[in-house]
Amino acid sequence: MAEEFEPKIVAFLCKWCSSAGSDLAGVSRMEYPANVVPIQVMCSGSISPLYVFSAFNKGADGVLVSGCHPGDCHYIKGNFYARRRLKMVKQLLEYIGLEPQRFQMSWVSAAEGTKYTQVIKDFVKELKPLGPQTKLRRTT
Amino acid sequence: MAKIEDLKEEAKKLLREGKVKYIIGYGVGGNGWTAVPVFIKKPEDVDGLIWDPTCVHNLARFLVDEKRRKAKEKQPDARPVGIIVKGCDSRAIVVLLQEKFIDRKDVYILGVSCEKAGVVDDKKLAKKLKEKKPKKIELGDNGQFIIDTDGGKVEVPVEELLAERCLECKANFPVIYDVLSGDKTKRAVDKPFGSLEKIEALSSEERWNFWRAELEKCIRCYACRSVCPMCYCDECVVDSINMAVAADTSAEEKAQKIKWIQRSSESSENFVYHLVRAIHLGGRCIDCGECERACPLDIPLRFLNKKLEKEAKDLFGYEAGFDSSLPALISCFKDDDPEDFIR
Amino acid sequence: MEKILSKKALPQWVKTLTSYKVYFPKKDKDERWNYAEIDHEDINLAFLNTTLPPKKLLFPQKELFLEFAKTADGDQETLEVKEILPDEQPVVIFGVRPCDARAAWLLDKVFAGEFTDPYYWKRRNQTTLVGLACDTPPWENCFCLSVEGSPCSEEGLDILLTDLGDKYFVKSLTEKGATLIRAGKKVFQNPKPEDQKRAQAVQAESVKKIKRQLKDARAISSTLKRMFDSPLWDEESMSCIRCGICTYLCPSCHCFDINDELESASPLKGNRVRTWDTCQFPDFTMHSSGHNPRPEKASRLRQRLCHKFQYFVETYDKFQCVGCGRCISLCPVGIDIIKVLEKVNQHGT
Repeated sequence: MAEEFEPKIVAFLCKWCSSAGSDLAGVSRMEYPANVVPIQVMCSGSISPLYVFSAFNKGADGVLVSGCHPGDCHYIKGNFYARRRLKMVKQLLEYIGLEPQRFQMSWVSAAEGTKYTQVIKDFVKELKPLGPQTKLRRTT
Repeated sequence: MAKIEDLKEEAKKLLREGKVKYIIGYGVGGNGWTAVPVFIKKPEDVDGLIWDPTCVHNLARFLVDEKRRKAKEKQPDARPVGIIVKGCDSRAIVVLLQEKFIDRKDVYILGVSCEKAGVVDDKKLAKKLKEKKPKKIELGDNGQFIIDTDGGKVEVPVEELLAERCLECKANFPVIYDVLSGDKTKRAVDKPFGSLEKIEALSSEERWNFWRAELEKCIRCYACRSVCPMCYCDECVVDSINMAVAADTSAEEKAQKIKWIQRSSESSENFVYHLVRAIHLGGRCIDCGECERACPLDIPLRFLNKKLEKEAKDLFGYEAGFDSSLPALISCFKDDDPEDFIR
Repeated sequence: MEKILSKKALPQWVKTLTSYKVYFPKKDKDERWNYAEIDHEDINLAFLNTTLPPKKLLFPQKELFLEFAKTADGDQETLEVKEILPDEQPVVIFGVRPCDARAAWLLDKVFAGEFTDPYYWKRRNQTTLVGLACDTPPWENCFCLSVEGSPCSEEGLDILLTDLGDKYFVKSLTEKGATLIRAGKKVFQNPKPEDQKRAQAVQAESVKKIKRQLKDARAISSTLKRMFDSPLWDEESMSCIRCGICTYLCPSCHCFDINDELESASPLKGNRVRTWDTCQFPDFTMHSSGHNPRPEKASRLRQRLCHKFQYFVETYDKFQCVGCGRCISLCPVGIDIIKVLEKVNQHGT
């Protein structure tokens, strides 16, 4: 039987909320697809657009940025900046023709282990029919 | 009608009284009729300044050079530099002021109004004139360009020869100035982002094919970056070579320095370079069009930056280069910023 | 050998070149020309000159040198390094202007000196350059005559075509050129004496049409020696925005950078590539200690002009500049090397 395509997702998770949420999912033994490469950052506001582009450049099929809910940011305002900046990134990526489903953002709090697993499950489901990301991927 | 004579008097006075270090303006270039940037240091050279529809360059770019020069001097000369600006160029100065890259007292702004016209696109001009060789261009009184050629005078309505960016101009006259020549009249623009419609109407795959075909041509000469006044970073993402080097920095450390983008002109690398540049210019690009004009391979770079200019306006109500007291687009936020894309 | 080829028969000749990759100048939507692989509908040589010179094909922006990969076998780690030469593929480039071919001839000297560059020569040896003599100057800033070139020079070319109106006068200059003509077989006719006379007349006429001139270029070479510390360079480079267009589009500029481009860090896998570089970038001469001997634009402009008109003359007794005029026509701020060198001449004397 042919191997099904397994998308590789790079997830930038803010330490205080989303990363804790993903830990909660793990500790609670919730099942979710193993397609994620998690990268813990201090705040979603610290995500430079360069990280997103670079993740795609290195071969990520999907990129997720997840942070605290608006108003709950550990650094007060970081996620508001992220919301604005990453909206611009999303618009730009869509504009050059990258499939819009490949770059996603979510608000996941430290208590939302279930939500995290749902976000990942939905993401993988949306990425599978798209196939591997070849547009920005570096080919040597 | 904007006349350079109005500004020449002021320029001469500034230089005679030593109020400015030098004046950045437009002069006649090597071929005898198109403008090039000139730097006037002596009052008697002021007569070499010109103002006509070939004055395409964004002279605000040279304020970056001036700042770098000052940074190297031990006892810098604190006098301002004089600079001749069009409407678009003045918006570039506003962005530099907004980002506190320069102080208001570092520039003495001599503004000229394009009135209802702008600058000429040299490719459109060559197509229009065919075999005739132009010798001089002037703006007429009735919305036409008057071109002196070796085959006589030719009059052409401005819309046929204006640079694409002038057709969508948001600032026909300088928004900031110390002295202004010309009227504060605006061109009517019915669709401020109309040029994007063609690309936005394409499907996702078609857009990808369009951008891939264009960016494949890129030879990474970085002219687009070099000509942009807003690309003033001392170390750019693509360079990644400057680093704090001490006597004991090992060769391994120097070799392992992060390289975000490879130097070779592979399609993926070209994309990442241009995407990074576009996002760094989000809410800062004022569409002077210099990047596209400088590109030797005619890559339509304006359309990359313009998309983010449109998003900044539509999504966040933000327009770059009009109010220097505003914070930068991405260093502020509103409570009702769109978050429909966030799960 | 000398032959005649009617313009209508040019596509037929190209059709016989099945074993070659054929490049012709191609016009883009903005009326600029660049070399591209042919599509058979569009074969004609009615063009001025390309923006990117043939150097793009002989000395590409990205040249793969070698591939390396580390493989682990238990505790043993071996590093495999494989040299990758350019593909075996004969290439023909049609429509090479004599200045660009002369530049290729100058590049040959650089890459064949004490060290023979295998990558450059693999491509050069399998590329046939079919030149087209200029009947009118392709760019308004052409000045090939002033740097010991000409609109009908033959250096670097394998075949020279001279436009006689409805046909070309075909002159084979090398064995590679002769092979190409033999491949065309019956497409060619033998020239008559009046064809040869016409060709010579066309060439003599074209020489008169070059408008721009750089007087006493050889004298400028010696003057430049004395001008190293002149304040002239500061003045002339004030408007330079160090974009690199002059050097990237110059047919004879050849500075390069070599980098290791990693595909993965662990296990180690990647390529070593050579890419174009330019002396006009501020970090071109940056040392790893952080010291930069050419930090300002003045020193970089001086370097470019001295390399073309002094250093190359001292090493090879030839100007590295071929007078194609691209740097003048395409400089975004209108820096004109002819004018700068004329000032050098004035200041020096």
